[in-house]
Amino acid sequence: MTIPIDEDRRTTTTDLTRLAERSMTRLLRPHLRGFTAVVLLQVVGALAGLAPLLAVVELGRALLAPGPVDHDHVWTVVIAGAAGLLVRLLFTAASSGIGHVLDGRVQLTFRRQLAASLGRVPIGWFSRRRTGELAKVVGEDVSAVHPFIAHAPGELVAAFVVPLVSLIYLFTVDWRLTLITLIPVVLAMALVPLLMLPARTREQEAYDAAMGRIASSVVEFVQGISVVKAFGGGERAHRTFLTAADDFVSVFSRWVRGMSVIAAGMQLALSPPFVLLVVLVGGTALIISGGLAPADLLPFPLLGLGLTAPVAALGHGFDDLQSAGRAVNRIKDVLAVRPLPEPTHPRPPRGHRVELRGVRFAYDTGHEVLRGIDLVLEPGTVTAVVGPSGSGKSTLAQLLPRFFDPTHGSVLLGGVDLREIDNRELYRQVSFVFQDVRLLRASVADNIALAVPRAGRHDVVRVARLAGIHDRVLRLPRGYDTVLGEEAKLSGGEAQRISIARALLADAPVLVLDEATSFADPQTEQAVRRALAALQGDRTILVIAHRLETVADADTVVVLEDGAIVERGVPADLLTRDGRFAAFWRSHQSAETHGGAPRGDEPR
Amino acid sequence: MIRMLLRVLGDEYARAMRRTVILMTITAVVEGLSYALLVPVLRALLGGTPADAVPWLAAFGAVVALYAVLRYISDLSGMRVGTTMLRGMYHRLGEHLARLPLGWYNAGRIGEVSILASRGLLQAMGVAAHLLAPFISALVTPLTIVAVMAAFNWRIGLAASLAVPLVAVIQGWTARATAVADAERHERDTEATGRVIEYLQAQPVLRAGGRTGERFRLLDDSLREAQRASRRTVLSVLPGMIGLTLVVQAMFTVLLTLGAYLALGGSIGAAEILAILVLAARCADPLLSLSDIGGKLRGARSELARLETVLRTEPLPEPPEPIQPAHHGLEFDAVTFRYGERTVLDKVSLTVPEGQRLAVVGPSGTGKSTLLQLLARFYDVDSGAVRVGGVDVRAISTEELTARIAIVFQDVYLFDGTIEDNVRLGRPDADEVEVRAAATAARLDEVIERLPGGWATNVGEGGTLLSGGERQRVSIARALLKDAPIVLLDEVTSALDPVNEVAVHEGIERLMAGRTVVMVAHRMRTVQRADRVVFLDGGRIVEEGGHDELLDHGGRYADFWNISMAPSAQGRG
Repeated sequence: MTIPIDEDRRTTTTDLTRLAERSMTRLLRPHLRGFTAVVLLQVVGALAGLAPLLAVVELGRALLAPGPVDHDHVWTVVIAGAAGLLVRLLFTAASSGIGHVLDGRVQLTFRRQLAASLGRVPIGWFSRRRTGELAKVVGEDVSAVHPFIAHAPGELVAAFVVPLVSLIYLFTVDWRLTLITLIPVVLAMALVPLLMLPARTREQEAYDAAMGRIASSVVEFVQGISVVKAFGGGERAHRTFLTAADDFVSVFSRWVRGMSVIAAGMQLALSPPFVLLVVLVGGTALIISGGLAPADLLPFPLLGLGLTAPVAALGHGFDDLQSAGRAVNRIKDVLAVRPLPEPTHPRPPRGHRVELRGVRFAYDTGHEVLRGIDLVLEPGTVTAVVGPSGSGKSTLAQLLPRFFDPTHGSVLLGGVDLREIDNRELYRQVSFVFQDVRLLRASVADNIALAVPRAGRHDVVRVARLAGIHDRVLRLPRGYDTVLGEEAKLSGGEAQRISIARALLADAPVLVLDEATSFADPQTEQAVRRALAALQGDRTILVIAHRLETVADADTVVVLEDGAIVERGVPADLLTRDGRFAAFWRSHQSAETHGGAPRGDEPR
Repeated sequence: MIRMLLRVLGDEYARAMRRTVILMTITAVVEGLSYALLVPVLRALLGGTPADAVPWLAAFGAVVALYAVLRYISDLSGMRVGTTMLRGMYHRLGEHLARLPLGWYNAGRIGEVSILASRGLLQAMGVAAHLLAPFISALVTPLTIVAVMAAFNWRIGLAASLAVPLVAVIQGWTARATAVADAERHERDTEATGRVIEYLQAQPVLRAGGRTGERFRLLDDSLREAQRASRRTVLSVLPGMIGLTLVVQAMFTVLLTLGAYLALGGSIGAAEILAILVLAARCADPLLSLSDIGGKLRGARSELARLETVLRTEPLPEPPEPIQPAHHGLEFDAVTFRYGERTVLDKVSLTVPEGQRLAVVGPSGTGKSTLLQLLARFYDVDSGAVRVGGVDVRAISTEELTARIAIVFQDVYLFDGTIEDNVRLGRPDADEVEVRAAATAARLDEVIERLPGGWATNVGEGGTLLSGGERQRVSIARALLKDAPIVLLDEVTSALDPVNEVAVHEGIERLMAGRTVVMVAHRMRTVQRADRVVFLDGGRIVEEGGHDELLDHGGRYADFWNISMAPSAQGRG
């Protein structure tokens, strides 16, 4: 059976990026009305903010006009100015309020979408990512989008619209003085390219790299602190951290120094005293030469300052927007991960015979971990896989619950390729106990019933007894309702027993069990054996075996070496054949007797 | 805020910081005063005598030049203080972290400290470099302008100064209201992050139950809680923001009205009142930016508070007059140790004579590892005493105590560096022969032979490029090289595959020879070879004696032994 999955694999990254972009726009579309409201309210509010300034201008015209002053006109102007302020207050507050509420909603949508999408990617994908980094994407990175949503639309638009309107107004008053008023803006803009010189970019890169070194050296410093302390002389990590810190500070000050002259120049050009100086020098010259009526000067010192807003906004919000952009890219990357393909026409498996046909598997790096595995697991039998670490045992086991899809060949359950089985159905058929047990911060009962949400308390208690954890649970503060991680903490072995109880409750016809390099304590080892005994019958069981007794009890043993099966058969037969398995058996026995012999008997 | 910054910084930087603040204040005052010159300039221009404006304009130009110089100097000073402080704080934090008791470092702390020491510190120190100048200028410049207005017309000045107490009250009130909301928000965010991590790690089992995305209620609830908290934060900031805007705008309206009234009444010249209104406009803008700057300052403030908490954590006290232990025997004398609410060890007394081996057995979570940690003084006891060579560990200098003890943990942390570097950590001044001998004794030589780079192979961050068993061999070699008279073993062989187990056992056996040993063990076969065994449960010693003695006794230890031995006999039979 060939599945046309290879076509899929060839989908280019750009397609995926486009896909992610589409999904981002789709996420934002329902909020379009909200965004429009934010922008409109902000623009109206900001424009209304011009009213009081224009009121001063009009007041000036009225007072400076020859002849008696028109009192009514003056008061109308004052009232208009006050009304403008009120409108500005109401509209900008509404815009900001709506913007932030919208921001919260969009963030929730993003987080939900990320969670959903992470719930669909191949489980194997997680093994090559740091959980912390992914959690950072869902948490911090989504939060970093904040300026994009809450500030950029309204404030940026306002920062451009208002100066534009002012500019047009000023042009109608006097075009020459308007051009003079623009001098500071032009000066500041002229300095912008200097901020983007290659030397500056290099400094920015050096800065990022130095920050990265600090982060990794502090992780090493803190994680290795027990070694640092236990070995006294181990000041190495400490020194590495301080060196990284010093490096960073010197890069940082170089960066700041390089920027500061230009930045200071820009800030000075845009600063109110400088702008006023330019306007007044120009205005004085024009008035003295008789080209400008004194009343026409007034709008310039009042509105001219606002012309610098777009440049200031660019400089000011730029860093935030840049980091928001980087965060959005990381979010997109996660959304772009191809989900484990779901079958369009799922087929139900017939029975629970498991078959691997010519299975090859390679991780992204290209290193082939499994190289042509043919293996049949019959219902009602236990198959033990043994082999040195790195031989591909864990990968083999993970193919059954479809953590990955094989690169070549296929895995069949009840005669149907796993890729054609509905995911929910697959998980009902295959349950697993793997090494790293994860308990949720939830009640003991919920933790056990995780895979079977509808299970009753009676069933939960039954499997807990079988897994040898019932007595321990009763000793917890609130028994099965105790919230793990909050009210009580279980040891590694106890967590493993909870995980065994989970698998027992799931009661799936196929069980994959990684016996783990070790079960943490004797009770847990016992629980595993009891569980295996209880589960046998018609089940198909695959065990990655580490203990001789498990191997001895298995119906079939498969010896895996470097991704290929080198021996298989009934354990007793293999022992007599004196091949790889026999060698493995002997090394185990020596380990056990080595550990087990009384001290005096030991050859030294 | 600045007081908190100064407290965190210590006296060393406080002077430079104060100087910068003063410089920035002067700059802001000069800016405000420069506007005073606008009045005569505008009076001349609007009053029909434009030629009179020229000398005033020249004076204004001179003051603007002064302002430019001052501003450049104070910005530079801010940057310089910022970077000096940054360097100082990195060092201070680094030194402090190295002195904190090991018990302080738990799993959660590692992430927290990592963030704090990298981005957090930068954000906190950014206050001086980026936020201080705008903040001071937004406060001081308007105040100066109000004073200038009062100098020209006392009634307008008085009206403007009415806004001052209102702005102060609103700023204070907003700060308090948001501090509460911020704290709640931080808590919800942390909670949500925890759930996300849990969700990611439990993916396989969650999928089996069909609980992904929104169907995983625990996650979805916490995400919604986080959103609600963030909305509450916004709502708590909003009244302050609106209030501030309202006050500032009301002030401007009052000045506009008052100005019109005075001008119409003829008590003030038209040109003068217009000039004053231009000043009023200059006063409003910086005040309005206060709420924005305030928000950023709050962000830096919470980082600063976290930094302060870490720096305030006391390291374990060093004895003023350390005593040398007389021998290598160990003793617990009625030791009680609590961790939070929980009593981990409850009046435990035991002795290990020099050169003997003690095995600690018991169900998980009963305080076995704590016994080892108290010996190495990762924590101090709550009552009773832990003695090494007859001397309370609290009376021995850290250096002396560390020199006497070699620890092999279950999880081995290796530093990013070569294998040789990592072994040498045991005794940095060891010579080539000694390092090689230790490696051979720990059967690390086999591992090194297989590796492409041999001794110079880089082990990666945390030693991830080696397997668990191989890392364990490095750590044993390290302990062998250290050659300390007391050896502590914490579940050393519980997570190994058979091949490594044999090797590690050999190494451990050599490490234990002739030394005082305390080992926590799950593998009962390891326990068998101890001189004495204590069985710990619920923080108390419930059984104590030799292996055979305890087996004959038929108590808890015998149960443990039987569970672990019976089936393996069955399996082979």
